[in-house]
Amino acid sequence: MALTGIQIYKLLPQTNCKECGFPTCLAFAMKLGAKQVELSDCPYVTEEATAQLAESAAPPIRLIELVGEGHQIRVGNETVLFRHEKTFYNRPGLLISIQDTLDETAIEQLAKTVDAYGVDYVGVDLRIDGLAIEATSGDAARFAEAVRAVRRVSDLPLVLVGEDPAVLGAGVELLEGEKPLLIGANARNWDSMAELALQNGAALGATAASLEELAELTEQLRSKGVEDIVLHPGAARMGPTLAMQTQIRRLALKNFRPLGYPTIEFVGGSDDGRQQAVLATQAISKYAGLVVLDAFSPELLYPLLVLRENIYTDPQKPIQVQPALYEINNPTPQDPVLVTTNFSITYFSVANEVEGSGIPAWLLVTDAEGMSVLTAWAAGKFDAESIAKAVKQFDVAARVERHDIVLPGHVAVLSGELEEELPDWNVLVGPREAVDLPAFMKTVLSEGSTVH
Amino acid sequence: MAQHSVLFEDHAEPVTVRAGTLLVEAARRAGIEIRQPCGGQGRCGRCAVRVVGGRVRRRSILRLSEEDVAAGYALACQAVVEEDVSVVVPPADQIERRLSTDHVAPEVTVPRGYAREQSQTVERALLRLAPPSMDDQTDDWARLRTALRIQNGIDHLRASLEQIRALGGILRASEWQVGLTYDTAGEPTGSARLIAIGPGAAIAADPLVGLAIDIGTTTVTVLLADLDSGEVLSRAATYNEQITRGEDVISRIIYASSGDGSDELKGLVLETINRLIATVCSKAGIGPGAVVKATVGGNSTMMHLLMGIAAESIRLEPFITSINAPPLLTAREIGFTMCPDGTVDLLPGVASYMGADITAGVLASGLRSSEETTLFIDIGTNGEMVLGSSQWLVSCACSAGPAFEGSGVVHGMRADRGAIEEVWIDGRSFEPTLRVIGEGRPRGICGSGLISLVAEMFITGILDKGGHIDETLDTPRIRRGSHGVEYVVARRDEAADGKDVSITAVDIDNLLRAKAAVYAGFNVLADRVGVDLASVDRVLIGGAFGKYINVEKAVDIGLLPDLAWDRFDFLGNTSVKGAYLSLLDRAAREEVADIASSMTYIELSADNSFYEAFTSAMFLPHTDLSRFPSVEASVT
Amino acid sequence: MQIEIPKDNWQGSVNTVTLGATPEEGGTRTRTVTIGGQQTLPFLHFEQTPPNRPVIALEITAARPGDWSPVLLDAWGDAIDDPGNWAGACESAGADLIVLSLGLTEADGRSADPESAVRATKSTLGGTGLPLIVLGPGQAELDNDFVIAVADATKGERLVLGLCEDSNYRTIVAAAMANDHLVVGRTPMDVNLAKQLNILITDMGLPLDRIVMDPTTGALGYGIEYGYSVMERLRIAALQGDAMTQLPLLVNPGAEAWKTKEAKVGEGVPDSWGKWEERASNWETVTAVALIEAGADIVVLRHPDSVTRVRNALDELMAVG
Repeated sequence: MALTGIQIYKLLPQTNCKECGFPTCLAFAMKLGAKQVELSDCPYVTEEATAQLAESAAPPIRLIELVGEGHQIRVGNETVLFRHEKTFYNRPGLLISIQDTLDETAIEQLAKTVDAYGVDYVGVDLRIDGLAIEATSGDAARFAEAVRAVRRVSDLPLVLVGEDPAVLGAGVELLEGEKPLLIGANARNWDSMAELALQNGAALGATAASLEELAELTEQLRSKGVEDIVLHPGAARMGPTLAMQTQIRRLALKNFRPLGYPTIEFVGGSDDGRQQAVLATQAISKYAGLVVLDAFSPELLYPLLVLRENIYTDPQKPIQVQPALYEINNPTPQDPVLVTTNFSITYFSVANEVEGSGIPAWLLVTDAEGMSVLTAWAAGKFDAESIAKAVKQFDVAARVERHDIVLPGHVAVLSGELEEELPDWNVLVGPREAVDLPAFMKTVLSEGSTVH
Repeated sequence: MAQHSVLFEDHAEPVTVRAGTLLVEAARRAGIEIRQPCGGQGRCGRCAVRVVGGRVRRRSILRLSEEDVAAGYALACQAVVEEDVSVVVPPADQIERRLSTDHVAPEVTVPRGYAREQSQTVERALLRLAPPSMDDQTDDWARLRTALRIQNGIDHLRASLEQIRALGGILRASEWQVGLTYDTAGEPTGSARLIAIGPGAAIAADPLVGLAIDIGTTTVTVLLADLDSGEVLSRAATYNEQITRGEDVISRIIYASSGDGSDELKGLVLETINRLIATVCSKAGIGPGAVVKATVGGNSTMMHLLMGIAAESIRLEPFITSINAPPLLTAREIGFTMCPDGTVDLLPGVASYMGADITAGVLASGLRSSEETTLFIDIGTNGEMVLGSSQWLVSCACSAGPAFEGSGVVHGMRADRGAIEEVWIDGRSFEPTLRVIGEGRPRGICGSGLISLVAEMFITGILDKGGHIDETLDTPRIRRGSHGVEYVVARRDEAADGKDVSITAVDIDNLLRAKAAVYAGFNVLADRVGVDLASVDRVLIGGAFGKYINVEKAVDIGLLPDLAWDRFDFLGNTSVKGAYLSLLDRAAREEVADIASSMTYIELSADNSFYEAFTSAMFLPHTDLSRFPSVEASVT
Repeated sequence: MQIEIPKDNWQGSVNTVTLGATPEEGGTRTRTVTIGGQQTLPFLHFEQTPPNRPVIALEITAARPGDWSPVLLDAWGDAIDDPGNWAGACESAGADLIVLSLGLTEADGRSADPESAVRATKSTLGGTGLPLIVLGPGQAELDNDFVIAVADATKGERLVLGLCEDSNYRTIVAAAMANDHLVVGRTPMDVNLAKQLNILITDMGLPLDRIVMDPTTGALGYGIEYGYSVMERLRIAALQGDAMTQLPLLVNPGAEAWKTKEAKVGEGVPDSWGKWEERASNWETVTAVALIEAGADIVVLRHPDSVTRVRNALDELMAVG
């Protein structure tokens, strides 16, 4: 049970000494309650208080790092069931699997393609995180060749998939200085897999069909000294997978250590390749730490990478778009200027509606520090002054001849001030909701322009 | 069915009515029309009558205090005749007066047990010095200090060069019998700072007086207090002259940051204060030179502008002041027209938007003297709120917008003559009854009038919970105007300027935003410390806002939390009260310092939960109706 | 090792809502659709077997849409020119119900009016036996005029009428109440706003089992995470017992996804976006499945292939072993 600010405050010295960097002990207590500072930042905290406050110091889900030749994947360390409770921290790794039964050229080609793949999403370069090499051949030499072929063209982190320790061993030996993941240990081979993982500094996957078996297996691995474990729940279909993933996450958050590890899901293998889309969507949304697809297809990877970006966005932190004068539907200097803030969702909803209307317009996005129109207004970040500033900053008057500027209806109150700030402009108040914009633009804005 | 007689005094004949008849109905039968502005719903209190013989059953005692009930008052629309009674119908203006004085703030009173010797830092000494001689070659200054040490135990006395320059002349002219006024505030034990020195007789005759000043963004208030007795000798208030350069702190800061703006604003506020000082002194028949100390409350912007310190950083992120706790200054340094070396004590604030007006207010409110969880609020364009007890204090400020001050709405105005300050609406006809400041015809609506109006519109169903006017209602007062849908509060034939006074959808929206911001502030404060808002023991309302507001209506719209009425208290201008207490009493002054340093300020613009709380409060009274059980009962 | 599975024991449940009415029930539909009733978060069979599965709606428009992607136009072919034919094609494609969007103009370019709205609705009802959702063109006054006419002309069908919004809900709710229909309310991605509209609608006297809510979601890449979390929060509040959040959730991954550049545009985009049609279809499917995971009860789609894929996903999610 998390303590409230006041409860924590009562355990602190209450001297307001300011040495922790906060003006009062209560301010520090509230930060501590929000897990934004460390208790040790207080120089005068008593041992008794430390004992009472040292609740759940260890993360409930172990952080696992997979390291390739330079690149790495970090998964785990999650603390909530739902992203709105706080945030999801470490984006699940998206990997593409490669069968060692392919010929070397094909393997190289595929690995190279995966390695090179990158797609730009609102200024972020989204990439695939790693490759899973599957020992389908069952042949150690062949598997080693596949690993070599991959390493010739890619330095992404690797997952080596197979049940035979001898075969996986032939591959993992080649990856000195890296930290691959071996998938992995099961009820039959766990002992030798554990040894292999320990010898080679690899993380180890634990595969089992039920939670009980999984937990037993991780306990056995831990008894051998393996710490870096990834769970591979064996459910085949979406419903049971969702149940297992949910149960694992719930148990882990209740500090049930045997399941306090990230998970891996293989979403390929179905007859209909397109079904990967739905399996991967669930895996990304619901708790998978690593997601392995069995084919490289940019038309699927792009949406999945975007989904991962979206789901793992910190809900506390609004995403911002770049303040600028945006063009929608190829506006001419005779088209109106609409104003909104740089909160991404506000921007997207306005831009989408205007775009959908087919009517050309300029969209002036002001720097409201990523707040929506209402919040920014309440916090004083979206006012006549900041709008006028944006008009100047982006040289709007030079690009647009028609001086009609449309305020969001929610801030109709600003119209007077804006007229004062922008004497050469005709200030109009638009609808409150973006969805009403097309109608507004059709009726109000199409009624001739007011060129100054 | 039993019959009873009801006698209305001043009417010869009693009327006979059936048991269960309401007093209004009985009155009508007697030919007396009792006004029922709320349409007989027991909400407005305007139909109060006094039962002087027999008893009635009061279905509701809303708007009546315990004393009222004890004195026989009953709401005629809610009083059921069950036996023979006699009733006095008070003249309408009597009811008006009783209602309008409902919440008048108590006057500033001398703190109990005030004794200058224990409490006051300013002291006075009458010294008889041995004149120098060829044998006694001690210099004037040392002579004075030695006498002061022997007589008053002051080892170290600080003085300004001006005072030293004048010293020799004064000593000789007064034939070595002098009076000193000095201040021990801020000095080590046994030390003091010289305020004034003069001929003994003259000083002894002068009363020892000081000023408590509140520099509000809109209004400046000055109290002249006798430091001996603690009594307030006179008071005066006027608009802050800076108002001509911008109505709110933000526009003042902007004004100050360009050209000579800073000097100009400093000059304007000094002009205002000095004029008020002259007024209070002349009222009390005292020369301004006799004023030896001034203690000042005010928000951080006002303090910065008074000191001539650049205030720009207050406005800009991360909202940092130059100084929260200014050092002790002199009247000469600051520019007050009083004793030039008199002490000027600017009280300490906490943050850019949590100033000395609030720390002084918290002191005056007595919040810290109780372990009860108390909410202290001061609402104007900015809403400042403090939650705490003797153990802890948290505070935040939110921008409420100008709606509560009567601007930012189409027919808004300040609480001045002609402003509608309270409204009742008949739930059947949707016709309003207005109370207008100055009792003439209405010109506009002030902040409290807006709260009252919106509450009535909501309770009578003109507004839905989303704050939208129901256009389907059958009344000519609801119509489409140039600002969208509106409700006409006063038709042109009812209004002062021959122009309709109405409230528009946009006005209502602005008011909703304002109240939502304030309530969201409460919410965030309470959440951050883990206190349930419903468990708040007391709500203390300071500032000008509190003087006029009607709690019931403020709760109806979800501006104030839904707590029992007896938990609310109106304190009036707590900033000047806090300054007054700090002027008199060093312990009170130390407490203000302690309040300022222990108060935890939450910057809402950095708080994610604020938006959530805000949208949740953008509803009448609130999205979570269970937070407002009393309103729930009246609308469902 | 024995493990005690942590189960939530929720107090509340989602309202059970039935769309459409058969002739015995006073309508003309060959089948009805029932949604809601969950007492758990989506598909957690170990807590409760979902009493009803989420359903798939396909959206059609009264007149050939002017702004739809060519990918969609190709997929539906000529059926698109007649709402009745189109609705029939949707039924064949596997839809559980139909959403008819009334537009501002008719096929011949004339302004649509209440009569044409009624014609389109009747034609749709004639072309399919599935339950129907009818949405106005999105302008308050026209919405009201069209929806009143449709509601009157289809009394007893238990259509879902929309869109109710916080500034315009009275007329539509009144029309639904008078003619035994249901309504859908839409709010812009905010838990409080969703709840507020539900309060306003129920304050008019419409029973809760005749309202569904559309919290607005945003497409993948365009704010889906907000919609996703709003839905999760609404559903958790519903299960916690907050009556004003216990309405089934209707979402529009089809309309949202097909508005995006990623779905709409085939040329002049980066190669890394992959093949157009497949990408567009993935965009719609991924959006829809993510929203189903968050608690959607009705997903409104546009492409027939997406119906197949989402239906597969639902089959998988309903599977126990």
